[in-house]
Amino acid sequence: MDEQKAVMKNAASSKTLGTALAFAALALLIATVIFWFNLANKVSIPANRTLFVFAFLLAPVLGVASFVMKARWFGSIAAVAAIIGGVFLTATIAISRQQVADNPITVGDTVPYFTAVDDQGDQFVSDMLYGTPTVIKFFRAHW
Amino acid sequence: MIRAKRGVHRLKATMLSDRDLAVTDAFGLRNQAIHSGPIGEDAAEALPVPATLLLDKKGTVLWMDVAENYQRRQGPEVVLAALRAHLD
Repeated sequence: MDEQKAVMKNAASSKTLGTALAFAALALLIATVIFWFNLANKVSIPANRTLFVFAFLLAPVLGVASFVMKARWFGSIAAVAAIIGGVFLTATIAISRQQVADNPITVGDTVPYFTAVDDQGDQFVSDMLYGTPTVIKFFRAHW
Repeated sequence: MIRAKRGVHRLKATMLSDRDLAVTDAFGLRNQAIHSGPIGEDAAEALPVPATLLLDKKGTVLWMDVAENYQRRQGPEVVLAALRAHLD
């Protein structure tokens, strides 16, 4: 009888620990995401994002661990959020690399001839760039 | 849409539309990797790689920066530093 009680007590404490682990996973993910977007706002996300990947992947690992320990139902919600969020954010890092064509323009080249319509609806011809130094920026107009 | 927002952002630069990426292709700056651009017949099939070029008055490239991934691109301070380095 005592033995059975002890087993049940063990199971209960494992559940509590699992639930705590699930919330720790979610907290880790949220903290990392807040830090990430702070850096993103300053356009200073580091080139080497290994630590971010580590944190983003640690969250799902903790989430899975909490399932193994049979976390309580509300812990499971936190665990699922941590797993989905962590995997998704890691995936965005994995596919973020850009690849240009084989022969992009480089320093020393002259700009190619081009025409485009400006925001007033007028035609812009690249010849208009001559005569004064210019900065050209390429970016997407909408997300 | 761009015209409507011009006043809001107080933009003084010339904004050019490159919906079919013709200019982007002329510069060779179309992103060949996975992208999240609009898909559809009338939409561009891809996106330019975020890039900044500094030209002299003859249209020669003095300096350029191409973002190696879309989560990271140079801020205005880097462009300003390039302007000082190349034009002063």
